[in-house]
This record gives sequence, structure tokens and C-alpha cells, in this order.
Amino acid sequence: MNDIQIRIRDLNFYYGEFQALYGINADIERKAVTALIGPSGCGKSTFLRCINRMNDTIDNTLVEGLLEVNDENIYSAGLDVTELRKKIGMVFQRPNPFPMSIYDNVAYGPRVHGIKNKAKLDELVQKSLEQAHLWVEVKDRLYKNALGLSGGQQQRLVIARSLAVEPEILLMDEPTSALDPIATAKLEDLVQKLAKEYTVIIVTHNMQQAARVSTKTAFFLNGYLIEMDETSKIFTAPKDQRTEDYITGRFG
Amino acid sequence: MDIKERYIRGVLLVCASLSVIAVAAITYTIIAAGWPVFTEYGVFRFLFGAKWLPDADNIQLGILTMIAGTGAVTVCALVIGGPIGILSAVYLAELASKRTSTVIQAFIDLLAGIPSVIYGFWGLVVLVPAIRNYLGSTKGYSVLAGGVVLAIMILPTVVRISADALRAVPKEYRDGSYALGADRWYTIFKVILPAAAPGIITALILGFGRAIGETMAVLMVTGNAKQFPTSLLEPITTITGNIALEIGYSWGLHRQALFACGAVLMIIILLVNFLINRIIRRAAGGIYE
Repeated sequence: MNDIQIRIRDLNFYYGEFQALYGINADIERKAVTALIGPSGCGKSTFLRCINRMNDTIDNTLVEGLLEVNDENIYSAGLDVTELRKKIGMVFQRPNPFPMSIYDNVAYGPRVHGIKNKAKLDELVQKSLEQAHLWVEVKDRLYKNALGLSGGQQQRLVIARSLAVEPEILLMDEPTSALDPIATAKLEDLVQKLAKEYTVIIVTHNMQQAARVSTKTAFFLNGYLIEMDETSKIFTAPKDQRTEDYITGRFG
Repeated sequence: MDIKERYIRGVLLVCASLSVIAVAAITYTIIAAGWPVFTEYGVFRFLFGAKWLPDADNIQLGILTMIAGTGAVTVCALVIGGPIGILSAVYLAELASKRTSTVIQAFIDLLAGIPSVIYGFWGLVVLVPAIRNYLGSTKGYSVLAGGVVLAIMILPTVVRISADALRAVPKEYRDGSYALGADRWYTIFKVILPAAAPGIITALILGFGRAIGETMAVLMVTGNAKQFPTSLLEPITTITGNIALEIGYSWGLHRQALFACGAVLMIIILLVNFLINRIIRRAAGGIYE
């Protein structure tokens, strides 16, 4: 169980002059759900985006320290970002299917990585949509535009799109913040099922959500990782006063 | 509503209505002035006649060669100017630094401010001799010369509107594509350009409208020969060019035929706008089903 897939040591992160993360140390377990909680602007999303190097797309940023995925430093000079992002899928706050058919959305990733065989793509599309609990709803309209789906369906489509490149890790940045309660419940259910096969890291504003879906929880505040432990411990007996203040709703 | 507000509303409404009135009035005048050609000379003979002999005893007013000429230079302009414009827009919207983008955009906007007679003049002294000397055209005045001049003239329209369409593509699409491991080029050509397609098509339609209606520059470089465009290197006449050339000394049926030419031009533009709008709406219909 205690198999560490992502190891972070003394991680600092800067947007230009502004330091967003201070000396983060964390170990993230394989095939478990880790929740990142904390008030807005605490650095949890920035931290998430360090893991698949999405912060590279923002100008004028700087990373210091060590971030290892499967014992490989992902910020080392020779690292292939395309390969890294194939290994690490990402789901965003707002569902962002591309304005193309459902099929093409899911097939997008495999195509990026050079899969052209139609039968192989068909298989990946079906398998990914099934894993994302969307197949039954869309199997008769695969070639219709994805923007015609509901918000919850779009978010599951985006998850299917990430799964299609057969990643090991899924990063989710407040994936239910734009969804209604029913769609949220479905997505949480899905997250827990996915954790059997994938390492899931989920940023959330919703503490009940963190408590429901995760096995470990990390609490961020002002760019510091204050406390990280079993979810049950964080929510019942936090060691740090600030964590307790946050989860009892005294601020944030 | 007090008197003052009503008064201000009235003035604003009149101003806003002016363009509607102008379009209606111009369309009416042109069609009314050319109407006898359609009724007396015959629509079919007018549109599909290959001979334009307004001064002959047996007067002939067929404009098919000119329709073909206009079509040829316009297509030529879009084929050359379209891709260049779209790729410029990709550079400005996706790759260039803000500073570079501003500088280039400023020059492109200047291009829009150059009077068309200047373009014609440049075409006359540079393009026409070049086409004559290097491409083996006998005269140099040609479809190609007109097409190149028009291609440059439509660039500002195509670039600006395409770039706006590209910039309007949500950042989420880019993030989604990058997160799947796609690089910048893959993202641009597979996600961003397709997502901006309706806007880019609009840019091309507006470019088309500018090209088909352009008169002076084309008149100066296409040679004004009323023949079918059999090659890019042969001279032709456009509908607009012919109107400008002959309106000064025409009278009677000839004059009416020139107005009818104007009507035909307007109808082509309206038709193309309408058709392409429908195509776009149908394409977008899949999105908002």
C-alpha cells in the first residue's frame, strides 16, 4: 500500500517575482486518491500543475527543488514533456471538450501519440468512455459534437479523453466546481472507482468532497503545505491548529 | 419618458437607421436604372451573352466575359491572399510577442489605408512588367496581376478578423490539448484553427466582398480585354472595371446596361453572403444541437 509514485522535496515555485510555493515536501501514493485542500490562492492548483509541468505554458515561471514521478526527476533537462503528459492526465475546473465530435475528442490523445489504426482507436474510445461511465449515454451519438453534452457529461468525456492515452496518474483541478449536485455525485463515484487503477490527485474547495473521495489529504495555506495525512486523521484529529481552523470553517 | 429622452432616442434611431436606408436606396436606384435591360434586352442575353458591343449597329450587351473575369481575379486573390492572411493571423495570435504583434498589426492596418489607385499604380509599374518579363505573358496585364494586387488589398481584412477569431478561442482548449501531450503546432492546427473556423470563414467572405467590388486597382493592371480568362497570364475585364471605364460616355441602353452590371454585382455579393452564412450556421448547428 505504501508505494510512493510521486516524491516532492523542497519544491519552490515562482510566478516572476511572486513566490507561490514554499519548500513543499510530500509523498503521493500509487493507486490512491489524494485530496488537496485549502483556501483560494493557497497554491494547491499551482502545485497540481507542477506535476505535469502545465506551468511551463505560462511565461516567466520558475521551479526549484525535486519532483520525481516513478523515481525520475521530471524537471531534469532531457525529459520529454510529451511522454510525461501521456503518463499524467489532467482534468480542469471547467469541462473543456474540444469543439469536435465525441469520438474525435477521445481519440485526440491517442492520435497525438501517433496511433492511426482505426480499429485500435475504436477500441480505445470505447474502453475509455466505459471507464468514464459515459459509454451507455453516448454510444449512439459518437459522431455528434461534444459541446452538445451536458456539463456533467462533458466532464466525464474529458476524463475519458485523459484515460484514452492510458495514463498512470490523473490530476483533477476542482473537477466538480462547475457541476450540479447530481453530476457531482456521479463524478465522485467515478473518481473512487478510477483510484483502483490510477493514482488520482484532486484539488477541491469542498471539504466534504475531500472527506468522501480521498484516502490522503494535504492542506495548503499561503503557499505552504501545512499538513498531510490520512484523510480521516486530517478531518478528525489534525495536528496543526491552522488545519483545524480551516476544516472547522473558521476561515477560508 | 420625458421630452428630452424621446428627442435623444429619436436622433439616435435616425442615425442607426441611416445604413439601412442607404442600402435600400442604393439597391433601388441601381436596379431601377438598369431595369430596362432586364425587360427589353433580356436577362438571359445580358447574363450569358459573350459579346459586349455597345456601339455597334446591332447592339450586343452580353457580360459573361466580365463575370468570368471578375470571378477569375477574385478567386486568384483568395487563393493567394487567403492562406497568407490566415497564416499571418496564426503568427500574430499564437506566436508573436505582444510587441511584435502590435508592430506587425500596425503595418497591416496601414495597408488598409492605402488608396486603391496607389495599389494599381504599384501593380502597373512593378507587377505588370515583372509578369511580362519573367512569366512570359505577352502584355503583362493579366488575371495574375489583378489577383496579386487584390490579394494584398484583402490581407488587412483577412488577418485582423482571423486573428480576432483565433484569440477568441478559449484558453481551456489549449490547456486540454497540451495536457494530453500535444505540442504547440499540433494544438494550433488540430484544435485552435478548427475552433476558429467560423470566424476565419467570415474573414474570407469579407475579403471576397472587398476583392469582387474593387475597381480602380484591378482596372489598372488587368488589361481590359473582354475575353474569357483562359490563362492566369491573359488580360481580362472585370464588371466593376468596365462600369468605371464606360459610364462617362455611355447613354441610352448602354448606360442602363452598366447599371444592370452594378445590380448583378450586388446580387452576387448578397447571394454569396447568404449561402456562406447558411453553411456556417449548419456547421455550427452541429455544435448547438
